[in-house]
Amino acid sequence: MEITELTVKEIVEKIKKKEIGVKETVLAYLKNIEDKDNNIKAFLSINNEEALIKAEELDKENEKNGQIFGIPVAIKDNINVYGTETTAGSKILKGYISPYDATVVKKIKEQNGIVIGKTNCDEFAMGSSTENSAFFNTKNPINTYYVPGGSSGGSAASVAANETAAAFGSDTGGSIREPAGFCGIVGLKPTYGRVSRYGLIAFGSSLDVIGPLAKNVEDAAILTNVIAGFDRKDETTANLPVENYTDFLKRGVKGKKLGVIKEINDFKIQDEVSITLKEAINKLEVQGCEIEEVSIPHLKYALPTYYLIAPSEASSNLSRFDGVRYGLEGIGDNLRDFYEDTRTKGFGREVKRRILIGTFALSEGYFDEYYLKASKVRRLIAMDFEKVFEKVDALILPTTATTAFKFNEKKNPLEMYMSDIFTMPMNLAGIPAISIPFGKDNKGLPIGIQIAGKWFEEGEIFQISYALEQLKES
Amino acid sequence: MFNVEKIERLAALRLKGEEKESITKDLEEILNYFNILKEVNTEDVEPLVYTEEIKLFLRKDEIKEGLPIKEAEKNRELFGDNFFKVKKIVRE
Amino acid sequence: MYKPTIGLEIHVQLMTKTKIFCSCSTEFASEPNTHVCPVCIGLPGALPVLNEKAVKYGVKLGIALNAYINKFSSFYRKNYFYPDLPKGYQITQYIIPIAKGGYLEVGGSGAQKKKIRIERAHIEEDSGKSIHAGNITESEFSFIDFNRSGIPLMEIVTLPDIETPDEAYDFLILLRSIIRYIGVSTGDMEKGAMRCDVNISVSKDETMGTKVEIKNLNSFRSVKRALEYEIERQVSALKKGERIVQETRHFDEKEDTTKPMRTKEELNDYRYFPEPDLPPLVLSDEFIENIKNTIPELPNTKEERYIKEFEISSDYARTIAYNPKLAEYFENIVKYVGIKRAKAVANFIMLDISAYLNETKKEIDKIDFTKEKFKELLDLIDNKTISRNTAKEVINESLRTGKTPSEIVSKKGRTQITDETSIKEFVIDVLKENDAQVNQYLSGKTKVMAYLTGQVMKKSKGKANPEIINKVLYNELENLKK
Repeated sequence: MEITELTVKEIVEKIKKKEIGVKETVLAYLKNIEDKDNNIKAFLSINNEEALIKAEELDKENEKNGQIFGIPVAIKDNINVYGTETTAGSKILKGYISPYDATVVKKIKEQNGIVIGKTNCDEFAMGSSTENSAFFNTKNPINTYYVPGGSSGGSAASVAANETAAAFGSDTGGSIREPAGFCGIVGLKPTYGRVSRYGLIAFGSSLDVIGPLAKNVEDAAILTNVIAGFDRKDETTANLPVENYTDFLKRGVKGKKLGVIKEINDFKIQDEVSITLKEAINKLEVQGCEIEEVSIPHLKYALPTYYLIAPSEASSNLSRFDGVRYGLEGIGDNLRDFYEDTRTKGFGREVKRRILIGTFALSEGYFDEYYLKASKVRRLIAMDFEKVFEKVDALILPTTATTAFKFNEKKNPLEMYMSDIFTMPMNLAGIPAISIPFGKDNKGLPIGIQIAGKWFEEGEIFQISYALEQLKES
Repeated sequence: MFNVEKIERLAALRLKGEEKESITKDLEEILNYFNILKEVNTEDVEPLVYTEEIKLFLRKDEIKEGLPIKEAEKNRELFGDNFFKVKKIVRE
Repeated sequence: MYKPTIGLEIHVQLMTKTKIFCSCSTEFASEPNTHVCPVCIGLPGALPVLNEKAVKYGVKLGIALNAYINKFSSFYRKNYFYPDLPKGYQITQYIIPIAKGGYLEVGGSGAQKKKIRIERAHIEEDSGKSIHAGNITESEFSFIDFNRSGIPLMEIVTLPDIETPDEAYDFLILLRSIIRYIGVSTGDMEKGAMRCDVNISVSKDETMGTKVEIKNLNSFRSVKRALEYEIERQVSALKKGERIVQETRHFDEKEDTTKPMRTKEELNDYRYFPEPDLPPLVLSDEFIENIKNTIPELPNTKEERYIKEFEISSDYARTIAYNPKLAEYFENIVKYVGIKRAKAVANFIMLDISAYLNETKKEIDKIDFTKEKFKELLDLIDNKTISRNTAKEVINESLRTGKTPSEIVSKKGRTQITDETSIKEFVIDVLKENDAQVNQYLSGKTKVMAYLTGQVMKKSKGKANPEIINKVLYNELENLKK
């Protein structure tokens, strides 16, 4: 088997056993990038020189310490990696060189992972197809006429195309899970507060979570071990102990109670997706899962709630992009003109839309009716999940209502926003959720099944999704 | 209802032409859609901003090294004695 | 009669070692942009982490202001664009501040004191500094230094209880003194550690006048002067039947007047919303109690106590009480020499020692006039070895040379003349030389005694004991009558 077809677990084992070298591994992936990425375009920048230097260093080490020793990882371009260009997919940050490492990057480096490159994404993580990147589109490696999903489309595509062993992305409304589903790989959104956001370019501060994109559930568990934990640089991380997530994998699902949300049927779901979900549920039942119908009464309000809160926070988070200290510099005779020129030129259309929505929702006279109202509905949604988790251990539902769509297919913003209906309620509530590939539609496009769990119980999610993964027909 | 110019000014944006028309239309549609939230009874409901398990951590007052000047200079040329320079602040 | 209604908004820089949301040093740096990091310069991906000391100082100041400390308070974002605000928003407190209510009492002592109520006090971050080439309306460019960005501030807002510029001045003086006593800030308005904006309106009746805000006040004197000018301006305008425009004005130091500020470009819609990057601040009773126990006796209480216990004048009491170092010195001396001598100690401090400090630009804790030296001096006066006048010379010499009062007195033979015989000699000489005054006295103008006493004093080169001069002089004059 090619090195690039192996999982993270397998590569680390082989490297530690000295069956393969780190440099060999990195070169193999760099070759794949060279061969495929002109077409796929998952990467915005490739770190080849540094990666090879690091690989050589690691090969010289006798003690091969680190959970991801020698593993090339791709990082979404909205995460700061020291010395790399970090654009968040936006013109306004073209040329911006990170002067510091995000905490998760620090942790990856501490475990001797190697950053192989920065991946393409929707501008400032706003989008569900990576079509909002200011630079270019990324293609779905399964079928290049289709979008890879977004906003972490580059990260998902790079893993699916074996251009990297693993990748990291961010999920604010589904941006890890949806592209993972579209590209046929595994993607986890950890609990809000489980992973540090220090160094992640903020979009929706109370929603953003960094998480792994990987070839299988086991790899995702290993990667989560690396990045999870309390961070003194991020006040929104929880000071709770991190379990060893790989311990949960093989425990099976006997006696586990899985909830099926009845309100998902209020939405139009692609037939093959519904069938695949039923299949997954049946197979788990056979393994000993108890299936129960549950209700999230406020599910249909999740979309407008999300699309008020996220843009409101974003409108404030993006105010720092004014051209004064870094990034694109506009022109103007005076400061006001300079600001407006920099930002109008530097931001793409979707970003401008969301900034305006957010500014409006927070503005005088509208705050109560829009932002505040949405915050209250958010509480009701979270309470719905709380009630549900008194009865069941986890939830099972599709990651998205449809499989991947074609480029330029969703022209209307609201239509695009609908891609997130099954992913963004978890961001509103803060609960963890994973997408694993389970079946394909008749076009061969992957179908993602989502397992969502209780706050800070990622172990449960890994346990159930691992079991489900084993039940896939190859 | 939606005064785009006022919101633009607050957001330091200045849309023009087709983009302005298109975005204004989009915004009206989106804001209309948000009206569905009016259906929800939120009397006596506290807004959700923070997670209960996450508690504020108080940092000790000890100096740590910050960003050396040369790092700031990687991204913006500094003027005179290390100042960031901006155009005049008041409009004619 | 037009009555002014005045409110103050004061920003106090808290003297923590590091900034409020990052670990950059707050120390004054001569080179710009050298105490910065991703957080305080607003780099993408940076997050705020709250400084414990800033919270403690905020609570301490709140307690010293007699405010209620909210056990639960939270942070909000105040959104606006300005080059010295790197994130495009300021992290501050809005709906629930760390301290609510409170008051300070200004004015005379006891019943004369007036309560100025405080509405709220909260903690927030300072912005960077803009330096304009030329003045703000004319310069082509401005230069931004972010060393100050993120320094912790406490914003104190009073209710509009202040009615005169003097009250405002007194309030600020007292506030600064309190701040120095509890050690949370230098309170140096000249260095920007304390900033003050004022709101003022005037009205003839119960209705509120139009509020005018005045900014750019760089000293307490400016505050007083600006208010005085503004009251005049508003009253004069109203008397002419003109309306007062609700606006923001700035104080022109050179001309001692207020002028309208160019209307701000920014619409004042700050779009406040809860800061998602900071969970709420929850304080325990223990936390608050521990801080309360570190608060020393505060200046206004000291002032009252000095007047009551030591019977010193209110002017002296205030000046000494308001200066923590001076008060410490004073109290140490009094403890050593005894309460009965407190008045004398106060006099020497306020006159001779203060003059010396002014002249040499020294601080009271740097001089060497110890409690032992003070006792010596007071003993010498009390046992009449030297006169009060002589004592002045002695203390001045001691301050300058470091010698003890006894050394100085014995060396220069400065002993006070107390024997009646010697004094009688002086008196007789003076009476011989001052015929006219003697006759005046004999014809009933007893007031001339003072002049004659002075002459005897002069003759004795200040050494004769004044009481004894009086006694002897009186006797001699009465003898002449016979």
